[in-house]
Amino acid sequence: MTIKKIVGSVVLTSALILSACGNGEGESTTDGGNNTSDNGNGSSEPITLTMFHADLAQSDGFDNPVAQEITERTGVQLDISYPVGGDDLEAIALMIGSGDFPDLIFGKGGLNQLIDSGGVLALDDLIEERGDNLKAMYGDQLDRLRNSLDDPSIYHVGTAGVENQVLETSGTMMLQTGMLRDLGYPEIKTLEDYENAIVEFLEENPTTEDGEEWYPMVLSGADWRWLITVGDPASFVSGFSGDGQWYVEEETGEATYKFQREEFREYFRWLNGMNAKGLLDPESFTHTHDTYISKLSSGRVLGIADQDWNIGSAEAALRAEGNEWGLWAPLPVTLNEDTAPLVTRDYGFTGSTGISISADSDHIDEAFDFLDWMASEEAQILTNWGVEGINYEIIDGKRVQLDEDRENAQTNSNYSFETGIGQYIHPFPQWGTAAVDSNGQSISRTTEEDIRTNFAESELETLEAYDANIWVDLFPAADELGIPNHGRAWEIPLPTGSQVNIIQQRADDYTTQKVTEAILTDPDNFDNVWDEMLAELESMNIDQANEEMSEIINRRIELWGGAE
Amino acid sequence: MSRFYYTDSGFVMFLLKALSVNIYLTKERLKVITMESAKVIDVEKQSQIKARQKQMPKKKLTWKIIKQQKLLIIMSIPFVVWLAIFAYTPLLGWIVAFQDYRPQNGFLGSDWVGLQHFTALFNDSLFYRALRNTIGMGGLGLIFGTGTAISFALLLNELRFTRFKKFTQTVSYLPHFVSWVVVANLVTTMLSNTGVVNNILQFLNLTDSPINFMARPDMFWGIVTGAEVWKSTGWNAIIYLAAMTSISEEMYEAAHVDGANRFQKMWHITLPSIKPIIIILMIMSIGNIINIGFERQMLLGNNIVADAAIVIEKYALDYGIGMFRYSFGTAIGIFKSVISIVLIFTFNTIAKKTSDISII
Repeated sequence: MTIKKIVGSVVLTSALILSACGNGEGESTTDGGNNTSDNGNGSSEPITLTMFHADLAQSDGFDNPVAQEITERTGVQLDISYPVGGDDLEAIALMIGSGDFPDLIFGKGGLNQLIDSGGVLALDDLIEERGDNLKAMYGDQLDRLRNSLDDPSIYHVGTAGVENQVLETSGTMMLQTGMLRDLGYPEIKTLEDYENAIVEFLEENPTTEDGEEWYPMVLSGADWRWLITVGDPASFVSGFSGDGQWYVEEETGEATYKFQREEFREYFRWLNGMNAKGLLDPESFTHTHDTYISKLSSGRVLGIADQDWNIGSAEAALRAEGNEWGLWAPLPVTLNEDTAPLVTRDYGFTGSTGISISADSDHIDEAFDFLDWMASEEAQILTNWGVEGINYEIIDGKRVQLDEDRENAQTNSNYSFETGIGQYIHPFPQWGTAAVDSNGQSISRTTEEDIRTNFAESELETLEAYDANIWVDLFPAADELGIPNHGRAWEIPLPTGSQVNIIQQRADDYTTQKVTEAILTDPDNFDNVWDEMLAELESMNIDQANEEMSEIINRRIELWGGAE
Repeated sequence: MSRFYYTDSGFVMFLLKALSVNIYLTKERLKVITMESAKVIDVEKQSQIKARQKQMPKKKLTWKIIKQQKLLIIMSIPFVVWLAIFAYTPLLGWIVAFQDYRPQNGFLGSDWVGLQHFTALFNDSLFYRALRNTIGMGGLGLIFGTGTAISFALLLNELRFTRFKKFTQTVSYLPHFVSWVVVANLVTTMLSNTGVVNNILQFLNLTDSPINFMARPDMFWGIVTGAEVWKSTGWNAIIYLAAMTSISEEMYEAAHVDGANRFQKMWHITLPSIKPIIIILMIMSIGNIINIGFERQMLLGNNIVADAAIVIEKYALDYGIGMFRYSFGTAIGIFKSVISIVLIFTFNTIAKKTSDISII
């Protein structure tokens, strides 16, 4: 009898435990379901839409003033998740693998895989029925949102702005304004000029006023930033368009893996020389991003080559400390006098990836209406300018940024997270820098006057010496450079199962390492290392990737309506 | 919802869980160990029993036995079910390694491709480099990790001043709780051109110009192992210390009477007494030398040392799931499991042959 009792109790307890677990899960899911459906019905309570944001690098609680204003006007609260490890493709792959999609997905390079997996919704009908704001925004550019020739539906809206003007440069070679001043603002067009300027300056000023060493040139090549401070500047210096890891022959749409180009050999030979002469910081390829930024913030760095958004915190630090002459001037440096830098190029509307709506979302209509609202003039002014009275005021019918907000924007590296301004422009549908609202005012806060108001004294003086108003004036004008028919190669989401993906990853991993070796090697050995790299690239089947990429680009040109 | 792409709080929860599991495991280990060391004392008896067991013919499984043991069987059912659900059911997913798996087609709708993914894997030179690095760094970590932990435990055990001993023990296992992100930053800062290590070397005139440690592929394995040893020595020593406390005081007293000095006591009493634990822990961790993770390599690595820093798991991440190649990633996973099992069995057999201690 006792045995039976014990057996009974054991069975009972295990059953209880199991059912308890089951209940727990069941309850929590139904709870969640109830909550959301309640919210959906009640108009006063905001509904929460989940969203994945591939480009976000830190948590955004959607609680800053702009976000609160968005919630107030639309009744939508966003719950934004982001790829913690920084790799958005892995996050997307796991999302597809688990079949667990948020309501709104900014899939970036993983868009095609999302479409293939059936996880995202075709938006054509919704846009046709009720997407008035979206239709007004995209106009005849709507075709550029289409997926492919075989499946010409629209699965996303957003990213790049519609109607652009180029007012800012990014990613070029830069020199310190203080150094240019001391040298009497020499003309700097080629790599040779760039190097000579540094050498000449160091001869006159071996150390800073405090007796500390200068950093002649610093790169950030230890992690993925290698691509923007080593790889991309090479493209700009070589006069290539901003096609990422590719060089595209625009007449034929033919793509080449850019490290196979001879121009690159020349750029890196120069960098190799810089290293051999001790002009390149030896820690360029080993220091962490934080160390890099702290070096830049010291005001002792003469030359860099980086994207604006990567050095924003260093610039903010320099400004905050009143060390304005430590800021850098972007310069149109190229391999030789005959090469034109294409940094200021207008690529047309390039939104080949953007926000999609999950096919099994419970809130498809709300999500779509939200995206459509984000394309409205009201929303665009809110996300660009912030809240009236807090960030700007209206004087004589015109929006004017408040002074304290301007100062905050320049010195606070967390500005967009705290105020929400600029935080919800990308990757949502957005007007470009050239767009104006119904009163004829610029929708974007970035205008030429605005840029000039934001400049430090050092920048204004440097510009004046070079006879320019803003930095882009130093570069060829955008309308001289033409608009490429394919947009930008790196933005094209690659088809699932394409070999390009695999070969390019191998080649990228290999070149980051091998080019670094080439830079650091003895100058006599440079050509050996470079030839070795070219041979190895061949053996990785890079030609096959080139071919496939050319085909992808040609299909893109066809989809976008051919040559304009 | 966000189980796989971490939100903030999700990630923190994940860490907490990982931590509690870790602590739990350690507790379990300690239990096992104290039980084991109780057995150690009469090793002779044990081997006698074993010998007897070997002579006994295998009992046949009959209804009678099942009836006799039904209570035990019923009691074990929840655990067997647990094991089946959480350890064996997921293995069904291995079939995707033999398919060209696309999530939208599901397990049954995807095309079968046989061993294609394995062939691709074995034809990739990068895979062999990753394998070499993994086993190299895993092996070094195991050897030096265990070596330092045992030596540290031995020395600590000899301390007679209890307060100091406790204090040292606490301080020494604290690095275990420091995240690899922080450790990697500490290491790179210390080893940078203007870092402490180079300052000392230059002050002592051992080098003329600073050594750029982080830019030397030949030093990378060493740096990773060093960082790991620094981080885990104190923590790993806890287990050995626990084992040492259960060694009978009488043996030391007897040795003292025989005139043994401290080192002789360590060598002839302490070490042999904890030998079973050392071997068991070795067997348990040898299967894991291929599962060393990739965070320290990723955090300490850079583009110069990339060749020495790529490990299997990073490879699987970048070339498997990072490219939506679910099947390829799974193939790598299967291969890893096979290697682990082979390693465990090999070491287990060696241990059994040489010292009559085994876990399988």
